[in-house]
Amino acid sequence: MTIGTLYTGFGYWNVYAWIMFFAIGALVVLFIRFTGRSDYEKGTYQDEVFYGGNPVPQDGEDLAVPASSSYWGFTKALASFYEVLVNLHTGILSDYMGFLIVTAAIISLLILL
Amino acid sequence: MSWQVHLPALVLSVPLLGAFVALLMVKPILRNLWFTFILVATTVLAFLLWRRVGISGTMVYVMGGEKWNLTLPSGMALPIRIIMEVDAFGAFMILTGSLATLASGLFSIRFLDRVHDGNKFVALFFLLFTGMLGLEATGDLFNFFVFLEIASVASFGLIAFWRDSPEAVEASFKYAVLSIFVALLFLIGVGILYGIYGTLNMAAVAKNMQVGFLEKVALVLFITSMAMKCGAVPLHMWEPDAYGQAPAGVSCFLVVVGQASLYGMFRIAFSVYGQAFQGSVLAWIIIVFGLLSMFIGVIMAVIQKEAKRLMAYHCISQTGYMLMGIGLGLLALSSPQAMSEYGFTAMKGGIFHIINNAMYKGLLFLTAGSLFYATGTTELDKLGGISRNMPYTTMMFAVAAAAIAGLPPFNGFVSKLLIYESSFVVHPFLAVVAMVTSILTLASFVKVFQSGFLGPSREELASTREVPLTMIVGMSVLCLMILGLSLMPNWALSNLIEPAARDLVNQASYIQAVMGSGL
Repeated sequence: MTIGTLYTGFGYWNVYAWIMFFAIGALVVLFIRFTGRSDYEKGTYQDEVFYGGNPVPQDGEDLAVPASSSYWGFTKALASFYEVLVNLHTGILSDYMGFLIVTAAIISLLILL
Repeated sequence: MSWQVHLPALVLSVPLLGAFVALLMVKPILRNLWFTFILVATTVLAFLLWRRVGISGTMVYVMGGEKWNLTLPSGMALPIRIIMEVDAFGAFMILTGSLATLASGLFSIRFLDRVHDGNKFVALFFLLFTGMLGLEATGDLFNFFVFLEIASVASFGLIAFWRDSPEAVEASFKYAVLSIFVALLFLIGVGILYGIYGTLNMAAVAKNMQVGFLEKVALVLFITSMAMKCGAVPLHMWEPDAYGQAPAGVSCFLVVVGQASLYGMFRIAFSVYGQAFQGSVLAWIIIVFGLLSMFIGVIMAVIQKEAKRLMAYHCISQTGYMLMGIGLGLLALSSPQAMSEYGFTAMKGGIFHIINNAMYKGLLFLTAGSLFYATGTTELDKLGGISRNMPYTTMMFAVAAAAIAGLPPFNGFVSKLLIYESSFVVHPFLAVVAMVTSILTLASFVKVFQSGFLGPSREELASTREVPLTMIVGMSVLCLMILGLSLMPNWALSNLIEPAARDLVNQASYIQAVMGSGL
């Protein structure tokens, strides 16, 4: 058995090959960075954030994309599905008990019949 | 005779002693030392138990008998005392649970400085620890119910530990009502089997099992109650409330307590009923629970805006992988060809996922606790740019998030790979659901990382500092475990996973350990 090689019964997987892959990737990134502009000076106007030509807001809050806006398109596209799903999660205990009873009934039907 | 024959009893009695003595501690420093000592001692005992089971096979321990190993006194056809029975699967669960509990306990020490009744926290924590280990060590059905109740009652108190918060009390109340209800269902199931077979010992029941109508009724009650306790969809709704409101160290702990219920479901399905239950319906029920849990859990996680609640939905989703993996093993149980073709691989994937989930999900809850400790919130919309101020927490979050999303080369990928490949053999749809779940898991943790840790710093968080050393140590335990399991998947599979899967499948050896050769 090769060190780090895992045979799944269907194929194999080697963790060290992946680590090598990431190491090579990191070297490529470092090389690209090394070939960048040599006239960069820290602490000068070169450090300023380019914000579409607009003044940069002082507080990061005005600059960041909040979590509630993440995947807006995804949730919008699935809005009707999410509406059903979220409405099922009422937070009401009697609803939780209802799900428990119904699930137990379904399992009973499947196992007993 | 080595003292190690008493390990099944010691691993339960040490945390139980820890719970009662903790109430007597007069100074916080003494309590913290006692807390750490008992945590470390129990983890060492769990490790020794796992090692001994690996060397000498299934361990049995008779409580209250004249000899610790006399399971069937002369003239008796059935065991009459409480018997602890720890096979490789039980030992694996005990070790996994102990490691996660050690991390959550170390992490919680600094939380204790913020509460005035820390002794009660420690007592409840150790009672929950005892309950969880008892569930995984017992070979007795009624004893299983007792440990289930010990764990439940302790967790009610821990979930509502921030008792000034109405949401925490509400979450605990909802969990309490559901838990007590399903515990009674479980007890009725135990009563049915006791009425038929005259014994409560799992091995003895399994030996005499002939599945009729009443046995099936008991099975329905067992499966329903354990599915609710492990948070399988659609019985999962208590979990985001409870995990979201509990202190972070407790949320981490509750992950492995939930897995103990999963253990109960698998123990009953494989070791008590086993091949006596003809047909594939039970396996498919578990697989469908798995599919629903994976998909509904992750799809709900994507839209969450609060870190701990998001992680709780992921916990449901990850439980789905374990249910599907081991459900596929159950599907193949009666066919040696199916078992060698996909069943054993699926079981290895499911069991590997148990330890993986305990480590990375536990770590994610601890990082959420760090965020709360440092910033006072886990609302993602109120966070941002934390990575500059909390580099260790950020690094450990990134490791855990990559692992749970199944990114190579982390451990989550290995267990998921085994599940993908084996489930594909049964039906490609199963593998597709598992892969889509993995992609959505990555998406939601990218959201947490981007909105919570990256981006420009907020003015109100400018003074945020990294959490204290003990909290970093607690997180590091789990982070190192993740890295170890990632770098040595072969070792983990050969020494941890395969023996556990073999013993879970081998009902005959489970029965024989208690009932002897008269099988």
